[in-house]
Amino acid sequence: MPTDAMSPGGGAPAIRAVGLAKRFGLIRAVDDVTFDLVSGRIYGLLGPNGSGKTTLIRLLAGLTHATAGHAEVLGATMPSRTTLERIGYMTQSDGVYPALSVEENARFFASMYGVSADGAVEESLALVELADRRRSLTGTLSGGQRRRLSLACAVIHRPPVLFLDEPTVGVDPLLRVQFWSYFRSLADGGATIVVSSHVMDEADRCDELLFVRAGKIIARGSSRELRDRAGTTDLEQAFLRFAGDAEAAR
Amino acid sequence: MSRRRTIALFRRVAQEIRRDRPSIALLFIAPIVITGLVTFILREGQTPQVDAVIVNMAATPGSVYTSALTTALEAEGATVTTAPDVVTAESMVADHTATVVIVLPAGLGQRGAPTITVITNGMDPSGEGSQVAAASKALVSVASSITGITPPTIVHETVYGTPSSDPITNFAPALVAFFAYFFVYILTGVSFLRERTGGTLERLMATPVTRGEIVGGYTLGFGVFAMIQVALIMTWVLGTIRVPSIGPIPEFSVGLGISVAGNPLLAYVVVILAAMGAVSLGIFLSTFARTELQVIQFIPIVIVPQFLLSGVLFPVATLPELLQPLSFVMPLSYAVDGLRQVFIRGADLSVTALQVDLLVLTGFAILFAVVASRTIRRDVA
Repeated sequence: MPTDAMSPGGGAPAIRAVGLAKRFGLIRAVDDVTFDLVSGRIYGLLGPNGSGKTTLIRLLAGLTHATAGHAEVLGATMPSRTTLERIGYMTQSDGVYPALSVEENARFFASMYGVSADGAVEESLALVELADRRRSLTGTLSGGQRRRLSLACAVIHRPPVLFLDEPTVGVDPLLRVQFWSYFRSLADGGATIVVSSHVMDEADRCDELLFVRAGKIIARGSSRELRDRAGTTDLEQAFLRFAGDAEAAR
Repeated sequence: MSRRRTIALFRRVAQEIRRDRPSIALLFIAPIVITGLVTFILREGQTPQVDAVIVNMAATPGSVYTSALTTALEAEGATVTTAPDVVTAESMVADHTATVVIVLPAGLGQRGAPTITVITNGMDPSGEGSQVAAASKALVSVASSITGITPPTIVHETVYGTPSSDPITNFAPALVAFFAYFFVYILTGVSFLRERTGGTLERLMATPVTRGEIVGGYTLGFGVFAMIQVALIMTWVLGTIRVPSIGPIPEFSVGLGISVAGNPLLAYVVVILAAMGAVSLGIFLSTFARTELQVIQFIPIVIVPQFLLSGVLFPVATLPELLQPLSFVMPLSYAVDGLRQVFIRGADLSVTALQVDLLVLTGFAILFAVVASRTIRRDVA
């Protein structure tokens, strides 16, 4: 069963899901999910493709309406347009404009979030090491560079809540390390980060993991806690054990 | 509604179009090439050659008619031969040595009106109309010379403008309206579909942007290019710039030189309003498409009926009664009528018909903008 986590100071959680559900016809993409996520931590949504991770993130980010239940971010029930100013969202696809230059993309998203472009653009591009490619057309960048730009656009407004949907897909190992190091620095600064992944070896970088299967959270805890509870040394084995238990409990 | 976000969207759309050379060509070069081609075909089209075969079945009275008919037809540039019977004459038409057969019946010259049969190939109904017309004109001429009665002279006058023998005069306003509408629809539809399928709309909807700001930004972005496009088309259609001879190249003129009786700026407003509606229509229809090809597939469903029912080709009054009401719900009808009001009638803003056209076009632009914005939902992004 998922456990509730309160913020360290005992305040309201940064993200809250209450009986959250989303159906597409007969398919339960997200099925009665309840949890609280506190600020200053990185949460990993782990599960196979099609388990409901992206739909869950979209529900939390207010990009789709829940069939039942509700999501709260920073105290506001989603979807809330004003809260979107304080949320960063990196989609699974790059979600950047190939016909625009790197800088034009960054400036555009800065304008969408209503932040003053110059400083924010400068800082974000430096952060993802694309400052020297600022004038390059995005369509001419490599896959990894586009992913970096996508991240820069997601954090350009320094959001306290960040949803990252498979941010490291197609990213080379060195860049992946840089990404995680950056996520950690954001969390240390008080941001709440939710990262979805189907790569188990990234799980150790998260403070807490939520195993997702068939739209449900089947287990929650740190990587070590989950392995200990499952009685395995391997996180993938732990996932399979919890999945088996969930199946048996049906 | 944030002006800053709307302007950022507008700037982004404009930057994308500016760098998309095929789209620029489609917007600016295609309408000029097509209107130029249509004008050239209509103005310089060849009159079909008339090669007549006369079959005289009326013996002596028929000989007089044959002779007079030959003279009348040859005076109009036709060639004339004779054939002994209808079967032979028909075989000549079948093997393309003749284009029309005129059969003078056995009872010709007797009391009562004779029935003269004109036979054509039947494979090209529109082209054969000119063959029948040439034969009819020659027969009227023969009848008048035989009876001694001079046929009346017909003078054509018009309530609005002056009668023009230039066949493009009536088509030009409709073509200007159609191309502005058509190309802006295609570009917006494809562009917005890329936004939906490329993941950028998803990301955009995760920002505080509103639907109104998106539609506003797109309308401004495409609106600016539509304004340049329409200015270019209007200059091309209305202008005549003489280029003096250079070396072996003889003097020639650029522009179609079509006269406009009213204020070209009013015509400009009419087309811009139509183009604004086309932007929102493109956004709306992109909801139902999954690929760029599907945006193109909407053309036969959405654009072609407007082309057929809006008075571009056929006057609305000549449409079957069942179809006429449809023309009233098509924005292009009002754009075409509005432009004809300005081009031909010389209408200004005091003319009710033009006021109606402008109001309805504004209404359509607003309606489509509202409908388009309803399709941009955070949960379908």
